[in-house]
Amino acid sequence: MNKRSSPHRETTGKRASFDALFRRCAQGMDRLVLWLLLGAVCLFVLLPILCIFLRSFQSEDGVFAAYQAVWKQYRDNLWNSVFVGVLTALLCTLFSVAAALFLATRKGWGKLLCLAILLITMVSPPFVSSLAYIQLYGRRGWITYRLLGLSWDPYNCWGVIWMQSISFVPLNALFLNGMLEKLDSGSIQAARDLGARPAAILRDVVLPLLRPGILVALLLSFVRSLADFGTPVIIGGRFSTIASEIYLQLVGYSNLEKAAAMNLFLLLPSIAAFFLYRALMRQADRLSQASRSRQERLQLSLLRCGPAGVLAVVISLLFFLMMLLQYGCIFLSGFLKQSRRGAVFTTQYLEQLLKYDASTLVRSVIYALIVSLAGTLFAMLFSYYMERRQVLGRHFFDGLVTLPYMIPGTCFGIGYILAFNHPPLKLTGTAVIVLANMLFKQLPTTTKICSAALAQVPADQERAVRDLGGGQGAVLRDVIFPGLRPAFLSCFVYNFSSSMTTAGAILFLINPGKKLAVFQLFDAVYVGEYALASLIATMIIVLVLVVEGAVYWLTNRRLYRTA
Amino acid sequence: MKRNLLSLLLALSLVFTLAACSGGGGGAATPTPDPAPSAAPSEAQTPEPTATPEPAPQLSGTMKVVATSEDYVTLFDAFTQETGVKVELLSMSSGEVLSKLRAEGGTPSADLWFGGGIDAFMSAKEDGLLEQVTFDAASDLAGDFKDPDGFWFSKGITIVGFLLNDALMEELKLTAPASWADLTNTAYAGEIIMSNPAVSGTNYAVVNALLQTLGEENGWKYFESLNGNIAYYGKRGSDPLNKTGAGEYAIGISYIDRGVEAQAEEKGLTIVYPSDGIPWVPEGVAVFKNADNVEAAKYFVEWLFSSDDNLRMLAEIDKKDGVKLIKPTLEGVTLGYDTGILMKEDLSLFGAQRTEILERFETLMGDKAADE
Repeated sequence: MNKRSSPHRETTGKRASFDALFRRCAQGMDRLVLWLLLGAVCLFVLLPILCIFLRSFQSEDGVFAAYQAVWKQYRDNLWNSVFVGVLTALLCTLFSVAAALFLATRKGWGKLLCLAILLITMVSPPFVSSLAYIQLYGRRGWITYRLLGLSWDPYNCWGVIWMQSISFVPLNALFLNGMLEKLDSGSIQAARDLGARPAAILRDVVLPLLRPGILVALLLSFVRSLADFGTPVIIGGRFSTIASEIYLQLVGYSNLEKAAAMNLFLLLPSIAAFFLYRALMRQADRLSQASRSRQERLQLSLLRCGPAGVLAVVISLLFFLMMLLQYGCIFLSGFLKQSRRGAVFTTQYLEQLLKYDASTLVRSVIYALIVSLAGTLFAMLFSYYMERRQVLGRHFFDGLVTLPYMIPGTCFGIGYILAFNHPPLKLTGTAVIVLANMLFKQLPTTTKICSAALAQVPADQERAVRDLGGGQGAVLRDVIFPGLRPAFLSCFVYNFSSSMTTAGAILFLINPGKKLAVFQLFDAVYVGEYALASLIATMIIVLVLVVEGAVYWLTNRRLYRTA
Repeated sequence: MKRNLLSLLLALSLVFTLAACSGGGGGAATPTPDPAPSAAPSEAQTPEPTATPEPAPQLSGTMKVVATSEDYVTLFDAFTQETGVKVELLSMSSGEVLSKLRAEGGTPSADLWFGGGIDAFMSAKEDGLLEQVTFDAASDLAGDFKDPDGFWFSKGITIVGFLLNDALMEELKLTAPASWADLTNTAYAGEIIMSNPAVSGTNYAVVNALLQTLGEENGWKYFESLNGNIAYYGKRGSDPLNKTGAGEYAIGISYIDRGVEAQAEEKGLTIVYPSDGIPWVPEGVAVFKNADNVEAAKYFVEWLFSSDDNLRMLAEIDKKDGVKLIKPTLEGVTLGYDTGILMKEDLSLFGAQRTEILERFETLMGDKAADE
């Protein structure tokens, strides 16, 4: 701040040369930042994945032995994965569209309540949701057995499909709701003026406008389902997918070569889905650019929209009820002690947690804050260079950044150990490897959020700043960063909650003395201390909501002040 | 323009400070200033050299331990008190440890491996991932419970039994199985749960011990008919205990120790020791080769097995008395069962046959999955 005032006192002649100098410096900086970003992506995404790839050929029985074994043994599992993926994507998208429509057409308290449920359930600590499912709907489930007197076997593929669908809904629903609120209200008004009934408006105007978003939700859920190993491990029973088999290879057989080969096998459907996603997302961008308006409620009454509208209401009510039950079950379990006579209320686990694991919780929050800040900044800069600057090979880098989304976290973690276990890149045993792994595992989503936000910042503004003599810094400061402000909050929230709940990747990266809450959670699940696991999950949810609330308040306060 | 540059610089410096912060806090050699999260907030930090029975070598720094449970904190606290070596504990299953070791390619991020089925230790020795340890007291240990070359030692044994959920057995009108032979009775179809032997050292011991006892051919026939009764193979070692405890399945094939006995009491489970023999598996202790603090870890192994007090403390934490089998001269610990009912096992086959047995078992389980 002080330095800035001194050049103003210089004479104009000198100032011009200073300007040139600064401009050159700024250009150098610009290039430096770009190279740093691309270098980091190569180092932390390309290198670990290459290491996994190379490892898959190092089997003792020959170069392609691992692939032969995988192809022979796991064709059925690949089919299982795709089957679960497709059904999960369909079911999840159905729920998401219904919930988004429901949310967009509500107002007042109902809306706030639904929004709150979605925000809470966005934070989904691994494993405990599946445990809650067993507790509610299992053979001795609170609902299936105690309430309805049913005793059925919940360990099969339908349980996996159901749980995955339910747990992917919140993110999708919020995304679709965002789209609905930005829909061109003019079209709906016009349709109504022309005498269209609500059912026709829903069918002919709203859903077609939502189509790109629906397709994106379908594909993202599909890929997420393929890479999810926790749900099939816990409630799959005899049913297994490629992701759960990879987990088994790592914890049971310690066969890295085979696990690596299986991962590349799993990438086939994922990459196919990704190319579809890219093609469809371009369409979505065009649509959202065409119809930007203020955020407002969708002027439509779902109940008057015929069977489809009623169905949407029923489905979303069912969804919100299930979510309430599931999270209620998690919250409660942390305070119940199970015994032969039933459950008793206790704060024993809470005391145990606060006594032994308080520092673990603090460390988790600190790590998550670092990842959120650095990750959000990284995503903003990266998406700016990718979207706005014709960087050479941008499609390659854009695709590269998306890869961590497609492989199960356990293998991404193993890749990091393979890549960074020797000098000069010795990172194993440090916090850096954990932080970097979280950051790059989450980058696919945050860059997508930022790119979508950037698509709504008119390129004209950028050109205007340049025409008026503004440099690269001015463009970033006055156009890009303000345009990315809403994305900042989304990215931060996503980064933070993911960092607090990510399990697969860091299971292998954590070292003695540097535990994280989610590792404690995994440990508690592993040894069967469900009450403690539920309590850690509850603490994680509360911490995430508190921090996110604080960030929301801070960013909005700044917004009011600058306004 | 200067402001532009400044804001850019500011943003960059933020990135660097963050990177620096995280880097500084996580240096491999730098001991973290904050207390180890697992350590109970007790007297962990004060070294008391006077209590040492025999002169300890000059040890320092931190010993990083991967263990099957964090309950061992008190044992390691005692070690810290005597030697001044700080201990950091992390719980990991033996399969995870082995995967991590292999990925690290000879640069292990821990020093000591404490607990877990002996088959994993045997594979690790074969891969050259373990460090040889020699000490005088090793000669007091029974032959089955140490590696002849000193690459691993056994700190206890795990025994296997059946857990029956009383309420569910009654509801389904099932009679209690008394032996392994009983388990194949079709009345139990879909009511038995065991863990995948690849994941659970205990259940691997079941498979290997029964194959040794029944012979190759009859053994596999046995598991084929047992497979028809198994609901599913859990991917975690604790699944049988948890699922029978929650009343989801009537019969679990599980490890039994005094902790399980307590839970059985609480949750209404009956423990059955099969009359045709109890499979068992030793639990290992080993030092990782090329570890940062090999000296401390080596001394820990010597410290543990040389002092009966330490072994008794371990037996207390483990809630197991099998350590008596390992060091027969140990006093103050008595076995809760007759050694005669333990199955005859040739432990040397545990490591050698593992891949082959698991592969065959996988196809056996897989056939079931394909039928559905």
